[in-house]
Amino acid sequence: MKQAAVPEALEGESFALEAREGWLSWVASVDHKQLGILYLLGAFFFFIVGGVLALLMRVQLAVPDNRFVTPEIYNQLFTMHGTTMVFLVLVPLLVGFATYMVPLMIGARDMAFPRLNALSFWVQIMGGVMLYFSFATGAINGGAPDMGWFSYAPLSEKAFSFTPGVDYWVVSLLAIGVGTLGAAINIIATVICLRAPGMSIRRLPLFVWMTFITAWMMVLVMPILNAALLMLLIDRQLNAHFFRPDTGGSALLWQHVFWAFGHPEVYIMILPAFGIISEVVPVFSGKPIYGYDFVAASTLAIAFLSLAVWAHHMFAVGLGHTFDMFFAICSMAIAVPTGVKIFNWTATMYQGRLRLTTSMLFALGFLVMFTIGGLSGVAFAVVPIDWQVTDSYFVVAHIHFVLFGGTVFALFSGVYYWFPKISGRMLSERWGKWHFWLTLVGFNLTFMIQHVLGMLGMPRRVFTYPALPGWEAMNMLSTIGAFLLAFSVLIFIINLAISLHAGETAGDNPWDAWTLEWATTSPPPMENFAHGVPPVQGRRPLWDLAHPNRTDAILMKLAR
Amino acid sequence: MLAMPGPYSANAFTLAPASPQAAAISRLFVGTLIFLGLILVLVTFLVIYAIIRYRDRPGVPEARQNFGSRKLETIWTVLPILSLIVLTALTASTMRTGDPATAVDDPDLRIVAHQWWWEIHYPKSGVIASNEIHIPVGRSLSVELRSADVIHDFWAPQLARKIDIVPGHPNYLRLEADHPGTYLGVCSEFCGTEHAWMRFQVIAQPPDRFAEWLRAQEAAPPAPTSPEAIQGAQIFADRTCANCHAVASTVATGTIGPDLTHIASRRMLAAGALENTPANLVMWLHNPEEFKPGSHMPNLHLSKSDLNALVAYLETLK
Amino acid sequence: MPDKTKLGVGLFILSEANFFLVLLIAYVYFHLQPDQGPSAASSLNPVRTLAFSICLFLSSATIYLAGRSFKRGRLGGVRLWLALTVILGAIFLFGQAREYMGLFAHEVTVSTNLFGTTFFTLTGFHGLHVVVGLCALATLLGVALSGRLNYIKPAGFEAVSMYWHFVDAVWVVIFVAVYLWPLVARKIA
Repeated sequence: MKQAAVPEALEGESFALEAREGWLSWVASVDHKQLGILYLLGAFFFFIVGGVLALLMRVQLAVPDNRFVTPEIYNQLFTMHGTTMVFLVLVPLLVGFATYMVPLMIGARDMAFPRLNALSFWVQIMGGVMLYFSFATGAINGGAPDMGWFSYAPLSEKAFSFTPGVDYWVVSLLAIGVGTLGAAINIIATVICLRAPGMSIRRLPLFVWMTFITAWMMVLVMPILNAALLMLLIDRQLNAHFFRPDTGGSALLWQHVFWAFGHPEVYIMILPAFGIISEVVPVFSGKPIYGYDFVAASTLAIAFLSLAVWAHHMFAVGLGHTFDMFFAICSMAIAVPTGVKIFNWTATMYQGRLRLTTSMLFALGFLVMFTIGGLSGVAFAVVPIDWQVTDSYFVVAHIHFVLFGGTVFALFSGVYYWFPKISGRMLSERWGKWHFWLTLVGFNLTFMIQHVLGMLGMPRRVFTYPALPGWEAMNMLSTIGAFLLAFSVLIFIINLAISLHAGETAGDNPWDAWTLEWATTSPPPMENFAHGVPPVQGRRPLWDLAHPNRTDAILMKLAR
Repeated sequence: MLAMPGPYSANAFTLAPASPQAAAISRLFVGTLIFLGLILVLVTFLVIYAIIRYRDRPGVPEARQNFGSRKLETIWTVLPILSLIVLTALTASTMRTGDPATAVDDPDLRIVAHQWWWEIHYPKSGVIASNEIHIPVGRSLSVELRSADVIHDFWAPQLARKIDIVPGHPNYLRLEADHPGTYLGVCSEFCGTEHAWMRFQVIAQPPDRFAEWLRAQEAAPPAPTSPEAIQGAQIFADRTCANCHAVASTVATGTIGPDLTHIASRRMLAAGALENTPANLVMWLHNPEEFKPGSHMPNLHLSKSDLNALVAYLETLK
Repeated sequence: MPDKTKLGVGLFILSEANFFLVLLIAYVYFHLQPDQGPSAASSLNPVRTLAFSICLFLSSATIYLAGRSFKRGRLGGVRLWLALTVILGAIFLFGQAREYMGLFAHEVTVSTNLFGTTFFTLTGFHGLHVVVGLCALATLLGVALSGRLNYIKPAGFEAVSMYWHFVDAVWVVIFVAVYLWPLVARKIA
């Protein structure tokens, strides 16, 4: 029994239904669904670009003392790879899903600030364009930033980085940061102000909750990055002294400020991914998420703790054992709520009825891959271990297990889950299974061996290496894995193309899922819910609707 | 591609320690890996078991609509906390044994890191070396680490923790080897173009051999005798080498580049990029850009005969 | 449900507060280190700065009054108090500019030493925020002068007001940390 509450036009917006037609409509759109798609497409484009940069790096590293690229170029490759993946791929992909899905999942017609939504997207894209323009500005070797994606001082100061790469990096990140902040403000205001009647905070879908918490983190930490960037820019362009030890400044101040942003940033890149997993695993297990309150509360714990662990990136700096110990304890602590999540997701599957769709396969892959990455993170919290393997390929392995094995796997899971809703068609399960297995194998081939390389003394950010025993074989293996991974992305692109063209029609709710986005057509109409939003009396409105005698409220009461 | 140097015949494996500090760290590392490995096995097993047991197929009952269990949540919160407390305690104690360094006023070694080479001072005897650190076996040496430019990092995996070298913030390390050998080290903080070729070696010798080495290093090299070497010495003085490099008891007192007083006694050139042989030295001087592009060593465009003479001179600097 | 515009501006203010916090921490950190050359104690004139700071503080009162008039639909009051707010804000900026010119004349710039670097960065970004605030206020004033009060959404007026109070509050903190601190330190020493 649906309530016939047709939403009114938003204040100041016209109900222009023709805005869906034509290329120009996409540029002018303020509709969250179009902007969501634009975010996803833009980020996917940069994913390909960043991936190509990585392939070039892996070709250079395939054999010792390789001359495929010069060190100047290699250093630009790894800097741009890291910067691209963090700022132009992972964050925008997660923001893109949030932009598309959050209003639908809370029964709203759009986000709180549709025009800010558009501004946020376009500013971020412009920042990306500006960043890549830097390649064209150097003399012989290109002028892209080449000081690493966290740009330590004083290497990043004018005296040691004379190309304009660092300046392009700074200004681009400032622009991209404006976009991220705008998106964050939008998400928070949307979740607080635009929920459908009955959807209390404790009934929020976990993807919405985790995105909401992430948005608060963005509001708090993007300004820290902005301050650091501006101080560096002022140092470089106005000859100031913030980070120049030779004139009284502090190289360590940069590290503290950057990581005060940088560490929460990596949690910003994982929490919404946790949200996707929290949606997908229950649906394909046929039962509600296990321990909703604990999964939700642990998100808060992670958010708070993430603000207190930044100096675990600085254990090798020599700041004193007491200082290191404080950050070690907080870093160990953050493993606890993370573990709580893993266990709850796993428990969700027990006594369920598992449908091993591609989306679910990626979610299951996430569970194991992210556990590996998370556990190697715990290893780093053990300070003496960090003292050996930080800044080596062990940490390169760690970051890729959490960000690729974690976030990217979760994103692919989300794509296979929500593609039907966004496009109206199903992605091919046959191509999907190939995609999944090739990704899993390619990913592990590339990165698992890097744990060993790190322990054998291979530092990170080296454009080449001597022919130490085993290094060539291991690096070659990693390179082969990288190409396999690239091939798997190709399979994915083929799946996208085929499915958009001739995929099975999805219908409103192809997965028999329970959250509000599945209560409208695929794709949704402009106003999202043409026939009003279903009543919300629990966390799974569509389950309650389909099982009036066994609603979640009734079941939960029985369970007590 | 070049033929690679011989000294890279053995790995500096973090789990093959050669000092008490590194051994303490290595033990903790192995123990932690085992502990974490067990957790991974557990989680993987739980996931795979669930997939096999609860996969949707005819005959499997409908999914049970359950919502959680306070008891389980407690277990899998408390157990990890307890294990992490143990791990934290082990961390704290290994930090003490793994890094016994304190700041000292009169270190045994002062290492100054440059883009992209290592300057090694033995303050108590006045010896200055580059890229190659000789130490006596069995003694714990105090090391002071400073940077001449950007942040570097000193990492000899078999001997000690890695430690950043931060301009404006001197750091201290204790360096020790419990048996003789050559221990590889690298710069482990990205420091610019040639970060990859900023390698060093720690050569631990029995105390008497070390004393011999130190005496040889303290002594000034004899004046060149062969005509070619004398010509080489002249070229060294004339062609701006002395602006950057120093050779004891000569007019060359430059400190911008590595001290060359005993260059012929070293095993590697260009901080690990080349093995130190006369042929390689000729190649290096002929075109540094070929082997270490971006390094601050200029190409002097010397003629073949000048090169040979110069190398003949340099080979006398044992 | 809170008003979304006020919430949005509030969040923006929260993020800007963190931005200033970092710049402030940099200022305080370097202030506590020994430094050569001009310092806060030697280069600044807290009394003169207090004079034009008072203008800024008063402008918080005037914008509050403008808001009250706006709620009551009193066009005359809105025009008067908004105009005063703009004028007071402009006086503050003028005072700040005079101070900067004086410092430049004594060769105290952002590149002189750590005091110069941190002082100009902290107060400079504050000044930029004042400029942005003045633009917003001038826009409101312009609309009010044209008589079309109904063009201004209550939430919008409130938003500008919140922002202006924030800019003011930041200056309170900066004034204490940069101008008053050396005085207190001198008294203690």
